[in-house]
Amino acid sequence: MTALRIGLAALFLMLAVTVQTSVLTNIAVAGVTCDLTLIVVIALALSRGPEWGAIAGFMGGLLLDVVPPADHTAGRWALSLAIAGYIAGLIRRETSGSPVGPLGVALTVVLGTAVSFFIYSATGSLLHDPSVDWGEFGVRLGIAAGYDVVGAIVVIPLVMWLMGRVKPARERSRRVAP
Amino acid sequence: MLKDLGTPTTRSAFRSAGETPLRSAGTPRDVRRRRTVLVLVILACFTLIVLDARRSAGSPVEPLREAAAGVFGPLESTATSARQPVDNLRDRFAEMDRLKAENEKLKKDNEDLTRELTTSDYARNRAQELDKLLKIAPAYTMTPARVIGIGSAQTFSHTVTIDAGTADGVHTDMTVLNGTGLVGRVVRTTQATATVLLIGDRNSTVGGRLNASMALGFVSGRGEVGGTLDYKLIDPKARPKVGDRIVTWGSSGNAPYVPGVPIGVVTSVTANEGSLGSTATVKPYVDPTRIDTVGVVTGPPARPPRTQITGKGN
Repeated sequence: MTALRIGLAALFLMLAVTVQTSVLTNIAVAGVTCDLTLIVVIALALSRGPEWGAIAGFMGGLLLDVVPPADHTAGRWALSLAIAGYIAGLIRRETSGSPVGPLGVALTVVLGTAVSFFIYSATGSLLHDPSVDWGEFGVRLGIAAGYDVVGAIVVIPLVMWLMGRVKPARERSRRVAP
Repeated sequence: MLKDLGTPTTRSAFRSAGETPLRSAGTPRDVRRRRTVLVLVILACFTLIVLDARRSAGSPVEPLREAAAGVFGPLESTATSARQPVDNLRDRFAEMDRLKAENEKLKKDNEDLTRELTTSDYARNRAQELDKLLKIAPAYTMTPARVIGIGSAQTFSHTVTIDAGTADGVHTDMTVLNGTGLVGRVVRTTQATATVLLIGDRNSTVGGRLNASMALGFVSGRGEVGGTLDYKLIDPKARPKVGDRIVTWGSSGNAPYVPGVPIGVVTSVTANEGSLGSTATVKPYVDPTRIDTVGVVTGPPARPPRTQITGKGN
């Protein structure tokens, strides 16, 4: 079961990275693309908890770091998405494992966008990457957060539903019988 | 079972009555394991960043990048060829504003426009772009390529992936252009893909010559979405004028930039504060958000750019 889950998560991440880099950039709003990878990471974290969030975030971010056209220091998106995923997982824990409501999901996505984009920009500044422009940070974050929520409405229920399907029988029965 | 200390147990509105939580907030062992995972992941990230910090050719992350490009290059290609519906959607959005202004004109020559609209399908656009490509630099050997991946504004860098790589003769520091002007230069290649740094990136500087006065200067990217460029002249007394056109002046050995490729047109000029000279704002001919078919200059001019002049002395 775990192997199946891991395979499914890997498939989601690869799909998200491909679609994000080559399809979604064509419908970017003022250059800002929907962070599909982040959304998938948050969905995985919300359905499986912080460990999964951190590891899925790391893997997804690493893909974003090395898949062309990335041209920045590898590890920056990995760090950002890992922390965003961990936080999203914690939010799921805070609600004691019960499903997070739609508003909660939207807020988690906004928070995840803010955290990941901030860490990405901050590491860029620390590494003296001249392309980081804090003047544009606010605007791009605003657009990205809005766009991500829109994307999350479609993607998160789908991913969480599929991840819920591959639950071991033991857990599923526990859910029904109190 | 122990509850997490200080956990606010806000229940979701969607939680059905009588359902027990899948897991409670976690035993101390759970918490410890969770933190270990976080620390390990963060350490892995820092290791990566340190290993790749200089981004030199010998970086240990390089094989990883090549592997990723090997796997995702074909995937991106496939996704790009399947994106026609998305493209049409984008075009529709972009047309909205223009359509209002054009409404008057539409009424006048409805027939003409209808014909234009029906013929301006995807394939024809691409054929036209290739046509223009042939016209703009007939003197160079070029490899046509398609853009299969675009960097988003969140990464702050203006880069695109093209579907031509070392197998097609594309190498780093080659000029990339399209039918309207200069696109950028190749910064990274793999077998089947190449990464192009657009001229609008903050890391990009191109030598530019004013068409009108032949004055030399440097065009650098601003990192803005529209790809707006800054132009500084070497000679502080020379002044660019609004409407002046800028072309590349070329690098030695034609790498990374070949001479004579149009870059953009000057839209405004401001005097530098506290120093001589002025900075011009340049609007590039190439819209960085709408590049599709590009050409990579892979060879020297097919014929010498200069023909010899033989004078007959007196």
